Amino acid sequence: MTNILLGYQPLFDLFLLHLGMAYSQWLVLRAGVFSLATAGLAAVGAYTGGILVVSLGFPAPVALLLAGLAGGIVALGLSIPLARLRGVYQAIATVAFIQIVLSLNIYASGLTGGPQGLNGIPKTVGTVTLLIAGILTVYLMYTITNSRLGRAFDAIRQNEAVAASLGVSIVRHQTLAFIISGALAGVYGALEAFHSYALAPSQFGFTFLISILAYVVLGGRNTIIGPIVGTAILLLLPEIARPLAEARMLVYGLLLILVINYLPHGIADTLIERARARRLSARLAKSDSVATTATRN
Amino acid sequence: MSLTLQNVSKRFGGVVASDSVNITVPKGKITGLIGPNGAGKTTIVNMITGMLAVSDGQISVGGRDITHASADEICRARLARTFQNIRILPDNSVLENILIGFHRHEKCSTLAAILGLPSARRESEKIGKMAEELLQRFGMSALADFPAGGLSYGHQRKLEMMRALASEPEFMLLDEPIAGMNDVESDSLAELFQELASTGMGILLIEHNIRFVSKLCEYIYVLDGGRLIAEGAPTVVLRDPEVMAAYIGGEHA
Repeated sequence: MTNILLGYQPLFDLFLLHLGMAYSQWLVLRAGVFSLATAGLAAVGAYTGGILVVSLGFPAPVALLLAGLAGGIVALGLSIPLARLRGVYQAIATVAFIQIVLSLNIYASGLTGGPQGLNGIPKTVGTVTLLIAGILTVYLMYTITNSRLGRAFDAIRQNEAVAASLGVSIVRHQTLAFIISGALAGVYGALEAFHSYALAPSQFGFTFLISILAYVVLGGRNTIIGPIVGTAILLLLPEIARPLAEARMLVYGLLLILVINYLPHGIADTLIERARARRLSARLAKSDSVATTATRN
Repeated sequence: MSLTLQNVSKRFGGVVASDSVNITVPKGKITGLIGPNGAGKTTIVNMITGMLAVSDGQISVGGRDITHASADEICRARLARTFQNIRILPDNSVLENILIGFHRHEKCSTLAAILGLPSARRESEKIGKMAEELLQRFGMSALADFPAGGLSYGHQRKLEMMRALASEPEFMLLDEPIAGMNDVESDSLAELFQELASTGMGILLIEHNIRFVSKLCEYIYVLDGGRLIAEGAPTVVLRDPEVMAAYIGGEHA
């Protein structure tokens, strides 16, 4: 039994790493920013952490914090031009940002190792560290959701005019969401660096971007459970059906098309909505007199 | 103290949507703004609430100039609005829709909100109670957990009003609040508006329904083609030949 579980440990680690990235993507979407920058910001964090440890001899925890800071600061810089754009234009601009990060990475080969990658990173992060990070991340997402910030994000995403008319500053909140998302991507980038022995520039490219986006869209964009469900399904699927592993991106694409068409709110969000609807109609039936008069008024 | 528009104009290219409009909304009273379709009523509301830039003139609240303030600054100047085309947040529950209305009152630091510190939690609890009181006042407590997108038309309008009231405004702009409501519903809202005015709130009521307006307002403004064509007590104004022409169409009617 223990052996079977141990066999799945690398997969569990991967799940926790990708879950953090998924939350980075989830948070910006929640605030109505159509940014895909998470992959680029994760690269910034991963290389910041890796270089600090390998070339400058920083202790890993300090490098981890600085990587988060770097992700947050780059996100802050990126939020300035992004605030002038909406929707699909934000998506295009952030994909361009990822390309810039990847190109800079190749050009600055003295610092980053270029196409050779960054090697010789001491492996300091294991399952326990990742699990703690995962729990902390879920906790933060929960508190943000249930605070004035989460409420403001929800309002902005659904209707900017309404949000503004209720005193919500749109630029300020979207910038804040983007900074938190950037810091999260930075930290998880560094965790990924410290979890493996080497970094390759291609790691944070288009495939990565699509995977993260798929986790959130498949799982659900409006509940905290969404990214957990999406990440778990998409990572487990190729493991359960080994022959599919080769065609991973094809399967992701097909699943996304199916989910967007038939469960546009994502798997977890749709199930939660249905459970809620059932509970509410049951309650209505029970306290029939009160509720029906309320609905009729 | 009042909400005042002085010579306010709005031009879209060559089209004049508002032409030197002067309106005063005093506190504690319901002021009416009527006019046929396309007269420019919503343009006025959008300019007051900072959603449209003012081309000319000045808008002030209690002597404070808000002509060029942004929409969120205007909310903090204690001015709230409802929308002609209902704009609730469909993904959220009824209760959550009201909670966002309290945004202006939430003072806890950003860090406290992110980390879920006790100060942020206490604040969330406090506004939760205030939202429940509002729901009770509007007789919608049983619907608190329902998705707002599934509410009936009348309930959605009430929800918008609760959300606007949550920001504790001193002035409220109601853009066609009874459109699509039956007589019973509109009568109960009329009572509510009078109650709000009696507590000192200044209300600008934008309406098509002349009967509703003349029942509630002591003073009304009539807009046509972006221009004020009459103002005064409803009984006088509604007998004005120009007003009748604007409403019925043509001078010979």
